[in-house]
Parts: sequence; C-alpha cells; structure tokens
Amino acid sequence: MNGSESASGPWVWTAVIAVTLALLSVMQQMLWLVVPLLLALILYYLLYPLTRILVFRGVSSDSAAALVTAGFLTTSAVAVMLVAPKIAADALDWHASAERYLQGGMQLLAVTLRDLEASFTVFANAHLADSVAQRLAGVDLGLALRLEPAIRLVAAWMPLLLLVPFLAFFFLRDGRRFQRFLGRAVPNAFFEKTLFLLNEVDRTMRAYFQGLVRLTLLDALTLAGGLSLMGFSGALGLGAACAVLAWIPYVGSIAGGILVVLVAATDFPGQPLMAYAAAALFVLVRLLDDFVFMPATIGNSLKMHPSVTVLMIFVGGTVAGISGLMLVLPLLGVVRVIGETVGQVIGDARLMARHRQARRLRRQRAEAGL
Amino acid sequence: MGLFPPRKVPSHLERLRSLSLFVELTPPELAVVHGLIHERDYLADEVIFDQDEEGQAIYIVLAGAVAILRNDGAQPCEIARLTSGTFFGELALLDKAPRMAQARALSDCRLAVLFREDFMALLDTHGRIASKITRQLARHIGRRLRDLASVAGALHHL
Repeated sequence: MNGSESASGPWVWTAVIAVTLALLSVMQQMLWLVVPLLLALILYYLLYPLTRILVFRGVSSDSAAALVTAGFLTTSAVAVMLVAPKIAADALDWHASAERYLQGGMQLLAVTLRDLEASFTVFANAHLADSVAQRLAGVDLGLALRLEPAIRLVAAWMPLLLLVPFLAFFFLRDGRRFQRFLGRAVPNAFFEKTLFLLNEVDRTMRAYFQGLVRLTLLDALTLAGGLSLMGFSGALGLGAACAVLAWIPYVGSIAGGILVVLVAATDFPGQPLMAYAAAALFVLVRLLDDFVFMPATIGNSLKMHPSVTVLMIFVGGTVAGISGLMLVLPLLGVVRVIGETVGQVIGDARLMARHRQARRLRRQRAEAGL
Repeated sequence: MGLFPPRKVPSHLERLRSLSLFVELTPPELAVVHGLIHERDYLADEVIFDQDEEGQAIYIVLAGAVAILRNDGAQPCEIARLTSGTFFGELALLDKAPRMAQARALSDCRLAVLFREDFMALLDTHGRIASKITRQLARHIGRRLRDLASVAGALHHL
C-alpha cells in the first residue's frame, strides 16, 4: 500500500513522464490560471503551519483559516504602505538606474577583456575587446530597459495576483472538504488506497513547497550576509531577488549571477576585483544551495533519482519554457504519486476482482424485479 | 429551567455520540471528529476490506451488519458479527500491519470511516479528543483480549 515502498515498473514511469509533459503543455496555454494557483499553493503551504497552531489551541478550522488569511492580508497591506512611497519615488529613476547598472556591467566587461588581452596574446591578436564592443554597440540595450512594458505586464497580472490570498484562504478552509468530496467519487474497493493517495499527494506538495520557502530564506540570508560583509548597499534586497530568481532552475541562477555582478561593477567602479569576488560569492552560495541547503530543506521530498530530476528539468524547459522549468518538478512529484498508486490498483488483481464483484452486486440490485 | 439551558446537539452529532468509540466526546469535539469522518455505503456480500491487505482506516457500523471472516486455509470462518454502533479494523489506527481478517457486509450497511493519518493529525492538534478515542479503543481491545483468554481457557493467567 505504501507508495514509497513499491518499485514502479517502466510502463508506469513512461506514463508518469508522458502525463507530466502533456500537463505542462496544457499549463503553458493557461498561465493566467496556473500562476495564481501555484502562488496560492505556495501561500497555502506557508500559512498551513500557522493554521495548525491555531487549531492546536482550540480554534475551529474555519476560524483559523480566516484569522491566518486576515493576518497575512493585514501584514501585506502594512508592508505595501511602508514600501510603496519609496517605490513610487524611485520609479522615475528606475530607467536611469537600470541604464547605469548596464553601463557599469559594460565597463567591467571592457576592463576584463582588456586584462585578458594583456595576459594572453591570442586574445590580443584577435582584438577581443574591440570586436565585442563593436558587436554590443549594434544592440539597442535601451529597448530592454524601457519601463512601460514592465508596468503593462504588472498591470495585466495584478488582478490575477490579487486572487492568490483568496485562493489560499479557500485551500486552507475547504481543503479537507475537497478531499472528502473526491473520496466520495471513488468506488469502495479503491477507497482506502485513494485516502492514502490523497494524503501522499498532500504530503509531497507540502514537503516541496515548504522546503522551497525555507531554501529561499536560507539562500537570501547567506547571499545577503556575504554581500553585506563586502560592503554592498541593499544587500538583503539583492539576496532576496537572487533567491527568488533561483526558483527557475538554471536560467534563474544565471540571471541572479548577472544581477549581482552588474550591481558590483556599478557600485564599485574601477574595482573589478569586487565584481569577481561577488561572482565568486554567488557561485559559493549556489554550491552551498546544491550540496547543503537543498538536501536539508527540499531534500528527497520528491523521492526521485537526481538524473531523472535533471533530465525532466531540461525536457520541461523545452516543452513549456520558463514556466516548464518552474513547474516540472512539483508536477512530476504529484503525477508520480498518482501514477504509482493507479499502477498498484490496476496491477492488484484482488482489488480489481473486488471492484468487479461490487459492480456485479450493484447491477443485480438495479436489475432485480425487471 | 436554568439560566443557560443545554443547547440541543444536532442530530448528526447525536448519532456520532451514540457510537461507542465517541461516547465520551462533547458536542464541539464531536463536530471536529465529524469533519474527519467519511461515510460509505456497502451492499450485502460486498467485501469491505481483505485479510492481509494493509489497513489504512477504522470502520464504524452506522447501520446494517458486518461479518468478520478469517481464512486460515480451507474455508473462511466467521469470527465475529457486528451491528450498528460497533467498530472494526481498529488495529489500523495503531500500526501499518496487515489486516488480520476479512470484513464483509452481511446486509446493506452504512459505515463511518476514520483514516489513520487523520487520527494521527488529531493526536497532534486535538490531543484531548484523541485521548478519549484512544481510551475507548484500549477498553475495546482489553475486552477482546479477555474474551480471547476466556475462550482459550486461560482466564486465570490474567
């Protein structure tokens, strides 16, 4: 019965991977729904322990869900009220700041390439610095930094993002009722296995999302601590941004690394060593993340072989882009639990025989007296 | 009539309190348990669970009758017959051991089911409720042990 103890056959795994990829393709077409749902799930698993504490203290489940959600909304509103004036004041400078950081990065690149030319004749003969500068001169970098598309994007997503706390509230309040509702649709023969399956899906997703939040906190604090020791201003914000970007496997890490280097190159002009040190710190944090933090937080919550994990990340990215990179692992974890349980049910001749017997009894009852 | 007359317990909770497992629970505690209970309908002769399969839940007979059958080789042997208010499969709440016997509906019956993981969560969140249920469970298992010992003629050893 215990899914973790069973060894799934190749057919089950083939079906699990095929279903995961099919769902990813569908989800890519429905990002307007998937993104709020995913964020609501993260928020649900984040608030779930608080709800449990209240229930533990004797508050009813419904009231606990309402209180925790209200507490989250109040805290968020206070945070927005505190931060919004500063963001509004800085918004006008964002374009200029972004260009400044990009110029800082370009200068670092130029200095690094000149250093390489000075050290290696191969690069000097190839006029590496000049040729790269010529290529970059043809690119209108300002286009990428325009504020309007970003504002339009935020405006388009904002109403959907407002759904997140409300969806999380309903997950907190009605999650158990939904489980019972699903359970009612299952034939008697498979009922116990279904209860076990629902519990396993919940356990898998909770382990993954709560681990993800803890991992993000650890990443953010470690990077922020290192950057702060090096004298960076806004180290906590930078650390948090990089940790959130790391939710997107590979692509997010690269983007976070570039962000740190750009900030270092701009805030410490003429000191390329600071940028190199920031890059080294970033790589160190990523290594810590992979070998220390990840096993300690998400760990083997998905109970998958590392090679399958890496392969699925690449395939997920190919099938559904950035959303595929982000969604493939939790989706694979859930589909795997469902696939293994369905595989066990179908492969259990006794269980299938019991189901057939129950159906026969019901048919005989329905046909009686006809 | 007192200043605060006792509030009428809703019928669905009253029905729950009539079951031996929940007899000690107060109405608010019954409401918590009611949120965890699944109700299932079985036809006469339908198998509820099988001998040797891993148990995940305890079953409480709300209506109808259930036979507990043990198959040790030749013919299944009926070892118990349960009616409304009684429960079976209780060892599943305590461990993940295989079922000791088969449960089969003797007549059309309605069962309440409490899943093991829900009971474990109850131990964490509502220790008082869980301890009351566990006490009833312990009494029931104690009675069963005494009956078994009596049948084996070994009562004087206890």
